[in-house]
Amino acid sequence: MTDKMEEKVALQTDASRNQGRRAFLKGSAAVAGGVMFTQAAHASGGFDPKKAVAPYTGKAELTDVLQDGAARKSLGFGVRKYPYGMPSPFEKEVQRRTLEWLTPDSMASITMSPIHQLHGIITPNGLHFERFHGGVPTINPDDHRLVIHGLVERPLIFTMDDLKRFPSISRIHFVECPANGALEWKGIQLNSVQWTHGMMSCVEYTGVRLSDLLKEAGIKPEGKWIIPEGADASGMSRSLPVELAMDDCFVAYAQNGEALRREQGYPIRLVVPGCEANMWVKYLRRIMVHDVPLQHREETSKYTELMPDGTAQRFSWYMEANSVITYPSPDFKMQGPGKYYVRGLAWSGRGKVAHVDISTDGGRNWKEAHFTSVVLDKAWTRFEIEWDWDGSEAFLMSRVTDETGYVQPPMPQMRKLEGTNNVYHRTAMVTWRVHAWEDGKSGGLIENVQY
Amino acid sequence: MYNTKKTIVAVSIAALFTGSAFAMSENSNSNAEVSAKIDGKYASNYVEIIKNADGKYLDKAVIEAILGEEATHGRNGMVGKLDPANPYSFEVDDSIDGGNHGNAQCKIPKAFVEVHESAAKNYFDDDKFVARGFGTPIAESALEKWNISVDGDGKGLPDPSVGMTIEEGAKIYVQFCAMCHGEFGEGAKGYLPLAVEEDLVTSDFTDPAPMKSVGNYWPYAVTLFDYIRRTMPFWTPNAPYIGDAGYLGMTGYILQSNYLVMDDEGTELEDDTFFNSEVLMKVNKYMPNQGNWFCDHRPVIHNERCMTNCPDEQVGWDGTGDPTKYRQARKLPDGTPQYNVPQRMHEDKPGVGHAGM
Ligand code: HEC
Repeated sequence: MTDKMEEKVALQTDASRNQGRRAFLKGSAAVAGGVMFTQAAHASGGFDPKKAVAPYTGKAELTDVLQDGAARKSLGFGVRKYPYGMPSPFEKEVQRRTLEWLTPDSMASITMSPIHQLHGIITPNGLHFERFHGGVPTINPDDHRLVIHGLVERPLIFTMDDLKRFPSISRIHFVECPANGALEWKGIQLNSVQWTHGMMSCVEYTGVRLSDLLKEAGIKPEGKWIIPEGADASGMSRSLPVELAMDDCFVAYAQNGEALRREQGYPIRLVVPGCEANMWVKYLRRIMVHDVPLQHREETSKYTELMPDGTAQRFSWYMEANSVITYPSPDFKMQGPGKYYVRGLAWSGRGKVAHVDISTDGGRNWKEAHFTSVVLDKAWTRFEIEWDWDGSEAFLMSRVTDETGYVQPPMPQMRKLEGTNNVYHRTAMVTWRVHAWEDGKSGGLIENVQY
Repeated sequence: MYNTKKTIVAVSIAALFTGSAFAMSENSNSNAEVSAKIDGKYASNYVEIIKNADGKYLDKAVIEAILGEEATHGRNGMVGKLDPANPYSFEVDDSIDGGNHGNAQCKIPKAFVEVHESAAKNYFDDDKFVARGFGTPIAESALEKWNISVDGDGKGLPDPSVGMTIEEGAKIYVQFCAMCHGEFGEGAKGYLPLAVEEDLVTSDFTDPAPMKSVGNYWPYAVTLFDYIRRTMPFWTPNAPYIGDAGYLGMTGYILQSNYLVMDDEGTELEDDTFFNSEVLMKVNKYMPNQGNWFCDHRPVIHNERCMTNCPDEQVGWDGTGDPTKYRQARKLPDGTPQYNVPQRMHEDKPGVGHAGM
């Protein structure tokens, strides 16, 4: 069978492949083996049957895969081999990763999600990015409690079962470390979108509204700030104004349909949609209602932005609208000139994504992409646009506009106004330089460059 | 002067609602009304302006309509407009209490209308709320064990009778902290320094970011006590064998290593100073960088959504208009761009970066 096919087919050229496609589009049937096309296609399209070949056949490596292998010829494994399912071993390179030089040890460190290998808008629990300040505790939920106290009418203590008795809500939100993109303030360091934008994920949380819990305890009029605190070694604490707490925050016990993972705060964490992930206190055990902010380490020493004039910005809660092209990105190689479907992610801490525009010429001209996912509040949104690459050097950029009217700026503008010393909230556009194809000499290189 | 401002606002509002029959006809004298309400700072009908613009509160035209044109020209454009009344201001209530500059409170700007509306819906309109009775009441006193929070005003600090001399604090510090943070807070093995003498302003944007630490950056000294009692030593946080007295003594030692002062005369902490919450609150008032903080008022960039032939300043390196002018990652010795495939991940740190995110 294989031998016969190889006899029939000639080497495929770009020209013959395009003719084949055109014939196809005209509704003409290709006969078995794909060697002959109808006369109609020939007449209208300048079609030369001598050049016609069956796409994708002929080379041994293309026909070998048609042999039935073990998957077809023997039984696979039975149920409950993995009581908790695992990805295929062929996906083993899809991992969260870290840079060892970033932090002196792994208990106060970060990993990035492989966002170039994700599809849609949901991050699987095992690939959710990690950020720890004191390692990951393993907490028995039976021993865990949440207390609400301070400037409240009735201090309350809740078991995890108590929390699940409350009305529940499920929401899809992105969660992003404000240092996402920080490696790029001073220029380009790494050629991968996992490193440039991987300090974020997007999952579905289920939990109980913080406003329901706070009302249950009854905030006194002088209670203006909410101080959530974690039960881990870092005793993480931040100050949230009561308006923010009452807006759309909730205490989540589930993530993507199952209990939170330990890395994400099992048994409960705070969800502060649209805001810095550091505020989403994990292993939540205490909420103190207070009259003033606490000025704790994570809102003074860290998670504040040093400006070029030496002043510093504090309480920068919201994550600004941002976007990135995840394919093609420096993690991939171009396969030669032709059609590409440029896709990526856009998100905004202030609401829904309104538009995503794509430039292939470094920001001079833009075309609006369409969304291939649902468009949700404070959640990743998938965009895609068709691009005919002619093989010449190109500069790919994406630019988001959110529903508040904010338009993502180019990097020079952000650098000019905010300097390069602020560490956090680097949300300007990035640029992927697609090297000119030059008959494949560039190897299809896609490079992270900075304006 | 006042007239000019009035005109600018009237014009930008007209531009904003071009094509909107509602705005132009129904409120034929609303422009006059709007400008009359400007107290030199903002349009008091900002909620209406935002709602009429589909909730686009960060849109350039909307901001101009509310704050005037200069507000959309970066941070400087906001100068003089950052006051509690301004709907775009995060800066609120710098009440003098804890330190020179008070326990500064930043709030969610009023212009974020939908946040306030949803908060109001969930909270302030809660007269129909009926408690569900889930959870168990607990006495505040029972929670003392957990309540280790100290705020910017010093509420939550131990009684002034608790403390030790800075010399004693130094001994504890050397025993439990120096291996990671250095004997004098200079940092060790890649762990954060706790005392640096670095200027927070760099001359070139490619210079490494300045190290920020207690003396040159932190706005509050009380934060140090709260943090180390809560989190350090890293392997055994909130250690009973150190106790409040020990944490206070170490706080004193770290503050002393940063050459911080506790009065107008610039009196520094001496080795035999008995360091307690009262001394800590004195230093808290004299943190050198305390006056250099402002509340978030991003975004400071307000661009139009340009689609074709966009201006030079939005294209290429530093707005040169040339897309082929760019910066690259450090090149490998063979001249190819650095690629970060897994096998390269354990290499040395690239030239520039930020310690301690
Ligand atoms: C095993 C190493 C280690 C030891 C020992 C240690 N620390 Fe730390 N320290 C750290 C790490 C790691 C961080 C950063 C934690 C994070 O990322 O959240 C830190 C952060 C700090 C900070 C915050 C610095 C800043 O700029 O935000 C202070 C202050 C501090 N430590 C004080 C102490 C004191 C006081 C002791 C002794 C009681 C101590 N540390 C012992 C590792 C250590």
